[in-house]
Amino acid sequence: MESKFYAMVDKNPVTQKVALQESCHLSPSVGPANNGGSPNNRIQRSAIKYGELVVLGYNGHLPSGDKGRRRSKFVLCKRQVGNGVKPYRKHIVKNPQSAKAVQDSHQHSVTYTLSRNQAIGRSSEVPIDFVVMDTIPGHLRTGSDNITQSTISRFACRILVDRNPPFTARIYAAGFDSGRNIFLGEKAVKWYHGEEIDGLTTNGVFIMQPQGGFHPAAKPGIWREVSVGGAIYPLRESRSAPLKSCQSEHEFASQVEEINAARPQCPVGLNTLVLPRRGTLGVSEKQPYVYILCGHVHGPHQWGQKDDCSRTCPLCLKLKTGCELSVYVDSEPPTYCFNPCGHVASENTVRYWSQVPVPHGCQGFQAVCPFCSSPLHSDPGYVKLIFQDNTDL
Amino acid sequence: MAMKRINKEMIDIQRDPPSSCSAGPVGDDIFQWQATILGPKESPFQNGVFFLNIHFPSDYPFKPPKITFTTRIYHPNINNNGSICLDILRSQWSPALTISKVLLSICSLLCDPNPDDPLVPEIARIYKTDREKYMKTAREWTNKYAM
Repeated sequence: MESKFYAMVDKNPVTQKVALQESCHLSPSVGPANNGGSPNNRIQRSAIKYGELVVLGYNGHLPSGDKGRRRSKFVLCKRQVGNGVKPYRKHIVKNPQSAKAVQDSHQHSVTYTLSRNQAIGRSSEVPIDFVVMDTIPGHLRTGSDNITQSTISRFACRILVDRNPPFTARIYAAGFDSGRNIFLGEKAVKWYHGEEIDGLTTNGVFIMQPQGGFHPAAKPGIWREVSVGGAIYPLRESRSAPLKSCQSEHEFASQVEEINAARPQCPVGLNTLVLPRRGTLGVSEKQPYVYILCGHVHGPHQWGQKDDCSRTCPLCLKLKTGCELSVYVDSEPPTYCFNPCGHVASENTVRYWSQVPVPHGCQGFQAVCPFCSSPLHSDPGYVKLIFQDNTDL
Repeated sequence: MAMKRINKEMIDIQRDPPSSCSAGPVGDDIFQWQATILGPKESPFQNGVFFLNIHFPSDYPFKPPKITFTTRIYHPNINNNGSICLDILRSQWSPALTISKVLLSICSLLCDPNPDDPLVPEIARIYKTDREKYMKTAREWTNKYAM
């Protein structure tokens, strides 16, 4: 029944407490952001934008729309006044709930419970800046999905950004609650390193930085885990990257327009196909479909469909454009698509994401479409689109 | 889909007709077309004008169009009834093919008969054994029926 905690004192650097699902791709980079804004009106925003947190799988907006703290993307801006904290003092207490530092809501504390079960349940507390909704992979979604809040920890992590250039951003496991406390449960891994104590959260916070940065030739880096104290460790056996947008919304829209301006046709219906623009959903005869094994783009039709639907239908998939530009590694035209979900993006972008294993479940990793979280088919997980040109009649 | 697709093909073939071919509906029935093919220069059918009937099935383009010569022609792959032995009109049909592409394929067939898969074995035999006789007869038929 012994607990240890650090008391933390306020220091200059900024911290933001961010509740994140473990499979999120964090984007605390300093790169320019496309759009969106801090959902949190409580934070007075300054002109300096540190970067963005982009949730993989929501392609620019939640199915029910972005509202308040629930959105597909969160923009980190410099606070008017910093609120980051640093380790200050260590105490060993018998009963952490009654300890002075824990009860004092003006003092930050981290409590490492060594032998007692303590769960922090769902929370809607004020310090949570960003609530991540469950990412339902595209292939499992139905029309009437109600996206629910993630069941992962409400105080998953916190991000500290240097208030001065180059605005280095650091992520830490666990976030402070409204009483400015962090409690780690009994199941959380914790250890002594000399006099210091550190720990991991139950679900963990994993980070991966693409080798040499996020650019067209980017290769995925290695996933590592960050501790409550901010140390970086290799992944554990079991567990219960900066991104930069390279093109503007406008550039992207004009590239989609360029493809549409060539008036690609369905080779069967001979009707013009239109790549959907951001926000244009719905099924029409103009909706392009792709034969995923060859990449040929068609309109919707039933030719070649055998009685045993399951064998031939999956080859004909709906084409959707990837609108969340933060996950593009370059600004090349969107002429490739992910296999099997069919989200369209540039060649380097599909190649990059098909190589990125994203944490999945309690032990595994799998490559997913960054727009809808659908697991990608292996080898290669994407296909080049072949439009029948109008001149090819 | 059939009606829309046939209409689109009609507009396309009138705006940008393939060389030496023409095609269009006969009357009010958009599913009944007539086509003409000018005999290719490097063939014994040179200077001939060959007429064809085109009938679109109701599930076109999922099924191939039925195309027959109405002008008689001396060719190993085209018989007395005008039936054409061409794989893309049967097993190798693809809904991505159009009348325009099919007519061009028929033009190539006129230049390069396929005597190994004949519809008229006798003409195929002559084509293989006595090319001069084949050319002469084909030219005579062209003069007689296609001019």
